[in-house]
Amino acid sequence: MSDMTISLSSRHGRRASTAAGTTARYIVLCLAAIIAAFPFLWMLLSSFKSSGELMLYPPTFLPREWEFSNFTQVFEQAPFGRFYANSLFVAVCATAGQVITSLAAGYAFARLDFPGKNIVFGVLLAALLVPFELVFAPLVDLLSALHWLNTYQGLIVPNIGSILGTFLFRQFFRNMSTEIEEAAQLDGAGIWRRFWSIVVPMAGPMIGAFSILSFVYNWNNYFFQLVVVTKSQLFTVQLGLATFRTVDSASSFNLLMAASTLAIIPVVIVYLLLQKQIINAISGQLR
Amino acid sequence: MAAHQPAKAKPRRAAWAPGYVFITPTTVLLTLFYLYPLVRTIIYSFTNWNPAGFRAPHGVGFTNYINLFHDDTFLMAFRTTLIFVVIVVPVAMASGLLLAALMRTPLRGRTALRTLIFLPFIAPTVGSALIFTYLATPFGGLFNIPVRLFGHAAIPFLTTAPWSLVAVIIFSIWTQVGYTMIIYSSAMSVIPTSYYEAATMDGANSFRQFFYLTVPLVNPTTAFLSVTGTLTALQAFTQIQILTRGGPTGQSTTLLYWVYQQGFVTFNGGAATAGAVVLLVIGLIVATVQLRFFGRREPVDLQ
Repeated sequence: MSDMTISLSSRHGRRASTAAGTTARYIVLCLAAIIAAFPFLWMLLSSFKSSGELMLYPPTFLPREWEFSNFTQVFEQAPFGRFYANSLFVAVCATAGQVITSLAAGYAFARLDFPGKNIVFGVLLAALLVPFELVFAPLVDLLSALHWLNTYQGLIVPNIGSILGTFLFRQFFRNMSTEIEEAAQLDGAGIWRRFWSIVVPMAGPMIGAFSILSFVYNWNNYFFQLVVVTKSQLFTVQLGLATFRTVDSASSFNLLMAASTLAIIPVVIVYLLLQKQIINAISGQLR
Repeated sequence: MAAHQPAKAKPRRAAWAPGYVFITPTTVLLTLFYLYPLVRTIIYSFTNWNPAGFRAPHGVGFTNYINLFHDDTFLMAFRTTLIFVVIVVPVAMASGLLLAALMRTPLRGRTALRTLIFLPFIAPTVGSALIFTYLATPFGGLFNIPVRLFGHAAIPFLTTAPWSLVAVIIFSIWTQVGYTMIIYSSAMSVIPTSYYEAATMDGANSFRQFFYLTVPLVNPTTAFLSVTGTLTALQAFTQIQILTRGGPTGQSTTLLYWVYQQGFVTFNGGAATAGAVVLLVIGLIVATVQLRFFGRREPVDLQ
C-alpha cells in the first residue's frame, strides 16, 4: 500500500517536473530564436522607414509611413539586378565545376587503381589545411599575370578545385557497394559508360548535398571576390552591398537596410524552401 | 609465367588511364591556385616583395619574421586574435551544445525554432554585418537603448575601444551558434534513446543525463568543432571589414586582417607573407594540439 503511494507520488512528481522542464526548454529556445532572427525582422521593418524615423529615440517598431522609395533609391544608386546576375552566374558555374571535378576525382581516389594515387591525394590534402585567405597575395599576383583580375573566369576558375568535395565524394564511394558496377563490368560496360550510367546516378544524394554546400560557399565568398574584382560591372551582391557601408553611413541607414534586405531576403526565402536539405547537407559533412 | 606477364601488364597500363584523367582537373586546379600560391607565400616571406611594385623581390633572410615580433601592430593583432578565438569558439560551442540538448527530444515547434536559430549562419555575412552596423550606431541603434536608459550619452560602439572588438566577437558568436547547434544535434540523433531510458530508470535527472551521458557521447563532435571553429575564427575577415575595418587604431584587427592590410593596403608583401606563414603555423599547431587533447580520451563508438 505504502509502496503504491510512493510510486504514484514519484510519478506525479516526475510529470510535474517534466512540465516545468518543457516550459524552461521553451523559454531558452524561444529566447535563442528571437536573438537569432530579430535582427532580420528589424532590418526588414527599418528598410521601410525614413532616415529620420530610424534615428528616433525611443525607436518605433512599425514604420509610421511605409517608404517604398528606399528601394527605388537603392536601385538608382546600385544596379542590384546586375549584382544578382553576376552572383548567380559565378556561384552556379563554380558550383557546377566543383561538383563535376570533385565527383570524378573522388571516384578515382576511392575506386580506381593507378600508381601514385595515395601520394597525389596526400599532397592535395595539404590544400585542406591552407585557407585561401592566407595565400591571397601570391594568388592575386598569379591572376594578374594571367590577366584574370576583373574577369568572370578569375572569379570562377580558382574556386573550382575543391579538396573538401574530393574528400567527401571519396568517402561516399568508399562506403558504397561495388556490386552493381562489377556486374556491369562483367557485362562489358567500359569505365566511361559505368561512370555515367551507374556511378553518377547512384551518387545523386551526395551530389545534391555537396551542391548545396558548394553554392552557399560560393555565394558568400566575399573575401575572394573583394581581392579579385574592382570594377563595378563585375560586382556580386556581396561586393555591391558592401559599397553601401561608407565611413559616414549615419545619414543613410534606410538605404543600407533596404540594400541589405535585397541581399538577404532572397537567400532567406531559398533557405526556408530548402531548409531540410540545407541543414542535412551541412550536418552531413561529419558522416 | 614469363610469357604471361607482359600480356597482363598491357591492359593494366591502359586501365590506369581513366584514373589519371579523372583526377587531372582537381589536381591541376588545386596545385595552381592553392599549392603554388602557398609555396610562393613561403618564398616571399623571406624577401622584400612589394605586391604593387615593379622591382624584382630579393632575399632578406629572416628579417621579415624578426620585424614581426618588433612590430607593435602585429603583436596587438596577435593579442586580439587570441582574445577573439578564446571567447568566440567556446561560447559558440557551449551555446550550440545547450540548444541541441534542449532540442534532443521531440517538442512542438522544434523545426521552426531550429530553422530560426540557424538563420544567422546561412545569411550572407556582408548583409547581416550591415544590420549590426545599424544596431550598434549611436544614431538610433537598438544597442544604445540600455545605455541611454541609464542616462549615458549614446556610444558609437564600432569606433570606440574596447566596444569595437566586443561587437565583432558578439557578431561572430551570433553567426556560429546555429552551426554548432546543428552539428551537435546531428551527433545526438545517433545516441540510442535506450541510454536515456536506462538513465531515467536509475533516477538520473536531466542535468545529470546532460553532463554524464550527452556530453561524453558527443566528445568526438566537440573535438571536430573545436578544431574547425578555431580555424574559422582565425580566418574571420568579412565581419571585421564591414563592422570596424579593424579599428579604432587597430583595436579589432586580428592576424588575418593585419595580413590583409599589409598585403592590400600598405603593399608590404614581405610582412604580409611572413604574417601569413605565422598564422598558418599557429593553425596547424592548434589543430594538432586539440586533436591530441581530445583523442586521448576514450573514443565513444556508437555504430
